[in-house]
Amino acid sequence: MVILEGKGITKVFGGLKAVSEVDFVLNQGEILGLIGPNGAGKTTIINMISGTYAPTEGRVVFKGMDITGKKPYQIGRMGISRTYQIVKPFPGMTVKENVSVGAMFGARGKELSAREAIEKAEAVLEFVGLQEMAEYRADDLNVASRKRLEMAKALAMGPEVILFDEVMAGLNFSEIDKAVDLIQKIRNEGISILVIEHVMRAIKKVCDRIFVLHHGAKIADGTPEEVLNDETVIKAYLGRRYKELVQ
Amino acid sequence: MAQRGDTSKKVILGILIIAGIAIPFFTGNFIIRFFTNALMFAILASAWNIIGGYTGYASFGNVVFLGIGAYVSAVLMEKGGVPFWIAFPASGLGSAVFAVLIGLPVLRLKGHYFAIATLGVAEAMKALVDNLDITEGNSGIYLPVMNLSVKAQYIFFYFMMLGVLALTLIVTYVMLKKKLGYGLIAIREDEEAAGSLGVNTTLFKVTSFALSGFFSGLAGSLYAYQQGFIKPESVFDVGVTVKMIVMAVFGGIGSLLGPLLGALSIEIISEVLTNYFLVAHTLFFGAIVILAIVFTPKGIMDIVSGRKKFGLNYLLQNIRDHRV
Repeated sequence: MVILEGKGITKVFGGLKAVSEVDFVLNQGEILGLIGPNGAGKTTIINMISGTYAPTEGRVVFKGMDITGKKPYQIGRMGISRTYQIVKPFPGMTVKENVSVGAMFGARGKELSAREAIEKAEAVLEFVGLQEMAEYRADDLNVASRKRLEMAKALAMGPEVILFDEVMAGLNFSEIDKAVDLIQKIRNEGISILVIEHVMRAIKKVCDRIFVLHHGAKIADGTPEEVLNDETVIKAYLGRRYKELVQ
Repeated sequence: MAQRGDTSKKVILGILIIAGIAIPFFTGNFIIRFFTNALMFAILASAWNIIGGYTGYASFGNVVFLGIGAYVSAVLMEKGGVPFWIAFPASGLGSAVFAVLIGLPVLRLKGHYFAIATLGVAEAMKALVDNLDITEGNSGIYLPVMNLSVKAQYIFFYFMMLGVLALTLIVTYVMLKKKLGYGLIAIREDEEAAGSLGVNTTLFKVTSFALSGFFSGLAGSLYAYQQGFIKPESVFDVGVTVKMIVMAVFGGIGSLLGPLLGALSIEIISEVLTNYFLVAHTLFFGAIVILAIVFTPKGIMDIVSGRKKFGLNYLLQNIRDHRV
């Protein structure tokens, strides 16, 4: 079943066509990867889904509803949460307070009092493995924990879809493996996920399907096997060395 | 650490409450009047703290709420013959409504732009009131005289100011425990992230501005009634905004009791200095404010509450955190 769909979405900044007529489909319970070179328009797509930018053309459909042009907070409350590539913690708040804000105002926020939201935040921190840092100030965390905090905030909103924007960038191998485990754990909760990532070992491990963006246009779409062996993808993004390295 | 801070906070609060209630019964009219004025600034600084401290929108026009509160009371009571008990809450509401109307466009701006826009709003309102018939323009407007003895009037206004201050602080305290407080602080820390987490940022910012306006408007009403005569230059004075911001920063912005502490200490310091140095008191006053900001940039509240120990380490940490 399709939960999130982009139909011919296009974004023009001045004279630059950052994203041009991209179609994509995210199925219920699926992990969909979005890859492509820097500047290909990956984050712009997430910004259009989450309401930061309104698409110049095209429509975004969530559970059969047209959500094009809605405000970020409305989309967040409908059940789509996101993380930021350049993490955006609330630096002056503790880790627990950061996550509590997500629980208070997210999709399930209306049902929870402030106190219940804080309890939920504690459960989410346990889920992502940050419980020991609950009382730390957010700006005292290291990169890996900050990325994890981003994921915790998004998760605390009780979403049906999460958009992960490079949550593994800057992590070392063992941290990447932990992040991969966490993404799979989140999927097992029944949440559908769109991930932007450059880390190929993670993409191959975690994604059910991948689509590739180059200069704002979609150049490939399919299973990891198909896409990573696609000649255009190798030429545009992976490079010839990648194929040699893999073999 | 937190435990120690909490206990000393309670002790400070207890002393302040007892002193606040006892002062008018043990002192003369001059002291009562002095503290009534200090309490008014404590209200203004605490109200500014809601929008400037917790929401992170440094308003440089908050005096406009004082002025509107004062003029709503003056016009209602003098022209409309409305009793004070109706004019008083109407002043708060009038300022709050004004905050909503002005906040909707102005709160879209950030940082310096917001500061300048609010400054402009206050100046524009002064010009407007200066030229309206109903406010009697720049000749000022009288209010009905209160039918009480002088001493009773002093005590009445003292306790009214104390009551409004208590209301301001209680509402702020409750707000901080509720979703509103979390939402406002989230907006201060990162507005875009707050929005994507589901915070309706426009609604929250406007609510914060309206609360700030409401309490300042109540203070304005009391000020006007006590003065008996107000002019646009005095109740829309930019200097009042500057003073409330200095008090809030001096005491500690984004803390519940900081602005109160800042208002009381600054009023007392400047009064003492005026007594000893009639001409040069502003010079010494400026020096004290500079030293306080250099040594405790997050306000004297940090030192008083025992959260931080005053000393070389704290100074060095401040230099690392707040400079360069």
